[in-house]
Amino acid sequence: MARVDMRKLGVVFKREYLERVRSRWFLIGTLLGPVFFAMITVVPILISARTKTSADLANIAILDATASGVGERVAGALRQRYPASRPPEVRNLDAASIPREEDRATRDVQDKRIRGYFVIDSSTVAGRSVRYAGRNASSLSDVENLTAVIRQQVLAQRLSAAGIDAERVTQLTGPRLQVSTEKIGDKGREKGSGMGNVIFGYVVALLLYMMIAIYGQAILRGVMEEKTTRVAEVVVSSVSTDTLLAGKIVGVGLVAITQVLAWVALSLSFAVYLLPSLLTRLGTPAAGAGSGVPAGGGAPTATALAAALPSLDLGTGLALLAFFVLGFIFYASLFAAVGAMVNNQEDVQQAQMPVMLLLVSSVIFMTPIMTNPGSGLARTMSLLPFSAPILMPLRMTLVAVPWYELAGSLAGVTLACLAAIWLSARIYRVGLLMYGKRPSLGELARWVRYAG
Amino acid sequence: MSDLAIDIRNVAKRYAEHVAVRDLSLQVPRGAVYGLLGPNGAGKTTTIRMILNIIVPDSGTITLFGQPHRTAGITDRIGYLPEERGLYKKMQVRRVLRFLAELKGVSGPVADRRIEEWMERLQLKTPEKDWGLAKVDELSRGMQQKVQFIGTLLHDPDLVILDEPFSGLDPINAQALKDTIVELKARGKTVIFSTHLMDNAERLCDSVCIIAHGDKVLDGDVGTVKASAGMRNVALSVGGEARSLLGPILADRTLVKRADDQNRFHEIELAAGADPQLLLRRVIETGAPVHRFELMQPSLHQIFLEKVGATGVEEGMSGQG
Repeated sequence: MARVDMRKLGVVFKREYLERVRSRWFLIGTLLGPVFFAMITVVPILISARTKTSADLANIAILDATASGVGERVAGALRQRYPASRPPEVRNLDAASIPREEDRATRDVQDKRIRGYFVIDSSTVAGRSVRYAGRNASSLSDVENLTAVIRQQVLAQRLSAAGIDAERVTQLTGPRLQVSTEKIGDKGREKGSGMGNVIFGYVVALLLYMMIAIYGQAILRGVMEEKTTRVAEVVVSSVSTDTLLAGKIVGVGLVAITQVLAWVALSLSFAVYLLPSLLTRLGTPAAGAGSGVPAGGGAPTATALAAALPSLDLGTGLALLAFFVLGFIFYASLFAAVGAMVNNQEDVQQAQMPVMLLLVSSVIFMTPIMTNPGSGLARTMSLLPFSAPILMPLRMTLVAVPWYELAGSLAGVTLACLAAIWLSARIYRVGLLMYGKRPSLGELARWVRYAG
Repeated sequence: MSDLAIDIRNVAKRYAEHVAVRDLSLQVPRGAVYGLLGPNGAGKTTTIRMILNIIVPDSGTITLFGQPHRTAGITDRIGYLPEERGLYKKMQVRRVLRFLAELKGVSGPVADRRIEEWMERLQLKTPEKDWGLAKVDELSRGMQQKVQFIGTLLHDPDLVILDEPFSGLDPINAQALKDTIVELKARGKTVIFSTHLMDNAERLCDSVCIIAHGDKVLDGDVGTVKASAGMRNVALSVGGEARSLLGPILADRTLVKRADDQNRFHEIELAAGADPQLLLRRVIETGAPVHRFELMQPSLHQIFLEKVGATGVEEGMSGQG
């Protein structure tokens, strides 16, 4: 088995690494990567910032069927809070005419005279429900802001109905509470916000998946190229297939790491030097970017941004690297085996399907695990060797994972890695010089057996 | 130090569907040009791959320069040109060559110097154009073959194995290849090449081994092989219009065992006990103008046909030999 010649491994590694890093596509990918990440991080901020600054948030109709004055209270609060917006219009009516008035208000929205309308009835005053209909009903921040106002005013109404004087009511309901979140880990309170961790965990998991998928397939294509151009035969007359495979995986893996490091460096310099001034120019609160809490104002500074970034201690960093390295080796060797099986591009799609399914199945579970990182599903998926390299890092950034789960997960991935290397090295050894049709499962089993 | 470059003893390789090599033994002396002859599918490539430790034999031993062929580093002394040629298409020619040399343990600067020498020698680098800077797939087929050939020899191997080296070569490249083989021999290197083209083998080889269906049919140095077949062959050529007159003579089985029409002449194997002078007299009696009548050793081609027989021929000889 151990037929790895370190000097030759170095030669193979050097070729794989330099040829790929020198290629035009690597340069393009490295430069465009941060642009892509900026798009998926900054653009949503800009979009939500634009909806927040939409001057016309208060330009709505309030259909009040309660004759309690809640409608006027809400309108007053909205006027006060959004002075730049066109003021809301209160339509007092009786319960029986609600359907007719709703139709009229709907037409007003359609004709763009107003953005939407509230329907306030007896159940609203009772503190149960209120309805909003409007063009911006799907904008989370708009609805959140409107809801905050109406909750506060219904509460105020109920307090004064209970006999508390008006000034006291204003005093009591006045504060607009802002929630800032903080994560607690094994070492106690950590710097950085919970929301920042979610975004960070998501980006890390997505990055792990992308790098494994992109560079795993690069290995597949590389192996197939060596096979179809027949250069493989010259190469394996000089170097054992085990050495060749190892050099290839190490070389391509380091290309992936190089690219990620370049991305991080580029993105950080973008975030530190360009983003603050960009946000200032757009007049957007930078603090909202990382924390996800709609902040009223606040100076957009690099420090605020840095505070929004999650903390990453050395241990977590090393664990992330370990998961990337092991996950990459696991999938890369499987992709290499697929590359050694196929003879043309048409066969690739079908032959790589099982490997892709394993990889994609980890990504499918990203969202449920993000919403509930302590669930049984999350624990299971972060222990299974094929999904652990992507999902364990995700969980680690969200919650404090017990050390024994982490150790178990790493041990499992390591074992799976060894198995994948063993299997792939055998398929690779035979497949690389085997032309003709794609092998059946039975033939594959025979390859594995007689590759001594 | 053994005086054998290669010593193969009782080597066999079986696959699920067929036997590729069955109990093969052969010895290649150092400094020889050795031909591995046989029809396609005879087991030549499998044998070569086993020598190079690409395939592991099921049984038997292979010794290279007196050492077991799995000794670490021993394949670095071999240069191999496979039958199916290919290079990394998107790589710069110089980088490919340097990669191949470094794989064989040649240091960078030494490799670079030899690459320049070879490229100038094979006209890949001229004052007008340096193809070393081009990518492999920008080169013509012939130039790619030159590059591959350089890659085989950059590490100055003691043993050069060429699998079907002449297939697909244009006459100029074929001549360059032949010259290089002769030069390698002059420098004391051992050259093995496989071919199913007997003419090439006959011109170049000191020794040959004919294999068919995974078995050795015969081996030895070419002179001995031909001498043992005896001076029983005649090359006969008559004036064009008189060819038809030869028919009855060639059909006479007391005189002619087998006649092979080579178009320009007939290669005739005499029947046992037949007198070549009698054959000549019979031809002159027909009145045909004799252009050529030559007693000669049988060609390797003839020996091959006789030893391997029609069954060995059907798989690949016809139309190509």
